[in-house]
Amino acid sequence: MNVNSVDSLVTEIQGLSGSSQDLAHLNNRLKQSEDVIRSQAATFATCLTRIDPSIHSLGYLYILEACTAGAVPEAQANELIISVVRFIDVCSVEQILLVPDKFISVCKRLHEQVMKLGAPMRAVGPLLMAIRKIQTSPEHLTPLHPDFLQVCLSAKCYKVGYGVLEDDICEVDQPRDFFLYCYYGGMICIGQKCYAKALELFHNVVTAPMSTMNAIAVEAYKKYILVSLIHLRQFSTTFPKYTSSVAQRNLKNFSQPYIELANSYSTGNISELKAFVEANQEKFENGNNLGLVKQVVSSMYKRNIQRLTQTYLTLSLQDIANTAEISTPKEAEMHVLQMIEDGEIYAAINQKDGMVRFLEDPEQYKTCEMIERIDSSIQRIMKLSKKLTTMDESMSCDPLYLSKVRERQRYDLHDFDDVPQRFNL
Amino acid sequence: MASSSSGLTFKLHPLVIVNISDHHTRVKSQSQPPTPGAGDATSSSSSAPRVFGCVIGVQKARTVEIFNSFELLYDPSTRSLDRSFLEKKQELYKKVFPNFYILGWYSTGADAEESDMHIHKALMDINENPVYVLLNPLINHAQKDLPVTIYESEMHVIDGIPQLIFVRSSYTIETVEAERISVDHVAHLKPSDGGSAATQLAAHLTGIHSAIKMLNSRIRVLHHYLNAMQKGEIPCDHSLLRQVSSLLRRLPAIESEKFQDDFLMEYNDTLLISYLAMFTDCTSTMNDLVDKINIAYDRHSRKGGRTAFI
Repeated sequence: MNVNSVDSLVTEIQGLSGSSQDLAHLNNRLKQSEDVIRSQAATFATCLTRIDPSIHSLGYLYILEACTAGAVPEAQANELIISVVRFIDVCSVEQILLVPDKFISVCKRLHEQVMKLGAPMRAVGPLLMAIRKIQTSPEHLTPLHPDFLQVCLSAKCYKVGYGVLEDDICEVDQPRDFFLYCYYGGMICIGQKCYAKALELFHNVVTAPMSTMNAIAVEAYKKYILVSLIHLRQFSTTFPKYTSSVAQRNLKNFSQPYIELANSYSTGNISELKAFVEANQEKFENGNNLGLVKQVVSSMYKRNIQRLTQTYLTLSLQDIANTAEISTPKEAEMHVLQMIEDGEIYAAINQKDGMVRFLEDPEQYKTCEMIERIDSSIQRIMKLSKKLTTMDESMSCDPLYLSKVRERQRYDLHDFDDVPQRFNL
Repeated sequence: MASSSSGLTFKLHPLVIVNISDHHTRVKSQSQPPTPGAGDATSSSSSAPRVFGCVIGVQKARTVEIFNSFELLYDPSTRSLDRSFLEKKQELYKKVFPNFYILGWYSTGADAEESDMHIHKALMDINENPVYVLLNPLINHAQKDLPVTIYESEMHVIDGIPQLIFVRSSYTIETVEAERISVDHVAHLKPSDGGSAATQLAAHLTGIHSAIKMLNSRIRVLHHYLNAMQKGEIPCDHSLLRQVSSLLRRLPAIESEKFQDDFLMEYNDTLLISYLAMFTDCTSTMNDLVDKINIAYDRHSRKGGRTAFI
C-alpha cells in the first residue's frame, strides 16, 4: 500500500471499511504500514478531517494513535482532547475490538492530557463510554478502569465512579490494573460514605496475590485499617489464609503508626486516642489520611454506645455520657438519635426522664419483601457457586498444582486419594 | 378363558390383596434360598411355593363383596385344603363378623391350573358358587393393572362332556376409609436401609414432586375446559360448574392474619435454611480452591508440614 500520499490512505480506508472481511484486510494493511504512519503523523493528521470516525473507526484509530504517540505540544492538547472525545463518542464497537490496545493507548493519552490541563471533568463521560465499549462483558476489568476512577476522584464525581464499581469483577487483564482499580474504588466509596464496599475493595488489594511488595498495597493497607475501625469498630491484625505470604510478612512494617492507632482504639478511651492522634499528626498527614483519622476518632463514640447496648437494657442519658466520655447528655442524645436513624442500633429515647431503652432487631421475617430478598440472594449465590465449582475443577487440573501435590505425596500416600494414581512417575 | 355370564358384580377390598401378597412374601422368604448355580430368573420364581387360603365376605343379591381372607394349608398328597382347620376358622370369624360367609378361595400363580378345579369342587359344598381369586406374584412393569384375576366356575359342554371350567370375571376395587389410610401407608414405604438421610429425603421429595405435578396437570385441564366454556366453544355444563366452584371454595382453609404471619415466617425460615446450606457449600468450595491456589502458586508457603487437605 502506498502510504506516501494522504489521498491514497484516505481512499484505502474509505474503500475497505465495509464488511468484516474488508476490515480484517484493512487491519493487516494498516499494521504493515504502521511505522510509516507514525513517522509522518503530522501530515496524516489532516486526513482525519476527511474520514468519518463512526464508519471508518479502524482507520481513524490508527491515525489518531499515531498522532498521540509522540509528545503533544500545549497548543494542540485542547484540540486533541476534543477530537478524541468525539471519536470515543461515535466509534463503532466491532472495529475498535480489532485493535483494542490501540484504543486503550489513545484513551490513556486522553487521560494524561486532561490531568495535565487540570480539567479532569472533561474525561469522565468519555472514559465511561470507552470502558463500556471495550468491555467484553460486565465482569471484565479493562486497563481503562483505574484511569476512569482516578479522573472521577480528581473531578470529585463520586457517583459516576460508584456506578462502575457495582459490577463484580471476574476477569482481569493486568494485575496492576486490579490493584489500582480497587484502591481508587475504595477511595470513591469512602467519598460516597459506603464504608462496607470500601472495606471490601481495600481487602481485595491487601489479599491479592503478589510476588513482591508494592506501594499500592501498602497505602491500601493503611486505609484498610482506618476504614475497618470506622465501619466495623474493630480491627484484627491476622490475615486470612488466602493472603500472599509476601504481604503477610511485610505489610505491618510499613504501617506501624496505624496499627498502634488501632490498638489504642480498642481500649475505648477517647482522650487517649485523641492524644495519640495529636502526637502522630504529621505521619497521618504524610499519608493523606488525616481526614480518615478524624473520622475514626468520632466513630469512637458510636463504638462505646454500641457496646453499651450489649450490657444494658435501659440507661439514662447522663450515664451514657459518662461511660462514653461525651461531654453533655444533650450531645449523647444527639449521638444516639443519629445512630438510630442510621439503623446502627435499635433504641427508644424517652425524653421526659432522659432514659434510653435498647430494643431488639424488630425484623420478624414475615413479610413478602423478605421472601423476595432471600430469593434473590439465593439466586446470586447459586450463580456464584457454579463459578466457584468450575474454578475449583480447573484448578485441580492445573499442571503446576498437580506437580506440587505429587511432591508432597512423598510425605503421605494416603492423604491425597483424589489425585489420579496413574500420573505417578 | 371365556368371560363370566353369571351377571354377578364383584367388589374386592384392598385388604384381601394385601393379605395374599403378604402371605406369599412371607412363605417365599422363609422357604429355602435357591441354589447358587441357578442364575435363571424363571427357575427361581417357579420354585416359589404357591399359597392358598379362603376369602370371606358378603353376598347381597347380585353383588359379591369380598372383605377379608385367611390362610389355609394345602395338602399335596390329597390335593385338597385342610378341612378341619377351615371349619375352625370359619366358626371363629362367624363370632366376630356374623355377616361374613365363605365366598371362595385364593391362590398365587400366573394362571389357573387344572388341579385348582379339584379344590374348587371341594369348596362347592360350603358355597354352591365359589370364587377363585388368583394373584400373580411376578412383577411385570409393563402391566399397569393389578395382577389379580377373579374366576368363577361354569358348566360348559366340551367335547360332548359337561365340564366345569374357570371363567374370568371383572371386578372393582372398593375401599373403606381405614383401608385407604393403610394402602397409602404401604405405597409410601421407603427402603429402611435406603442409605443416608439424603436418599430418603430425595425419595420423599420425588414423591411430593410427582404428586404436585399430577395436581398441576389436572388443574390445567380444568382451567382449559373452563376457558373454552367461557369462550363459548363448549356448551355450559352447570353441574360441572357447581362442582368446580365447590372445589375452589375448599381452599384456602384459613384466611386470618395470624395464619398469614405464621405461614410467611415458616416459609422464610425454610428459605433461610436453604440459603445457609448453599452458603456453607460455597464456603467449603472456596476453602478448597484457596488451599489449591496456595499450594500451586505461593512460593514461600509452609514446607514440610502437611496442610489440612479435605
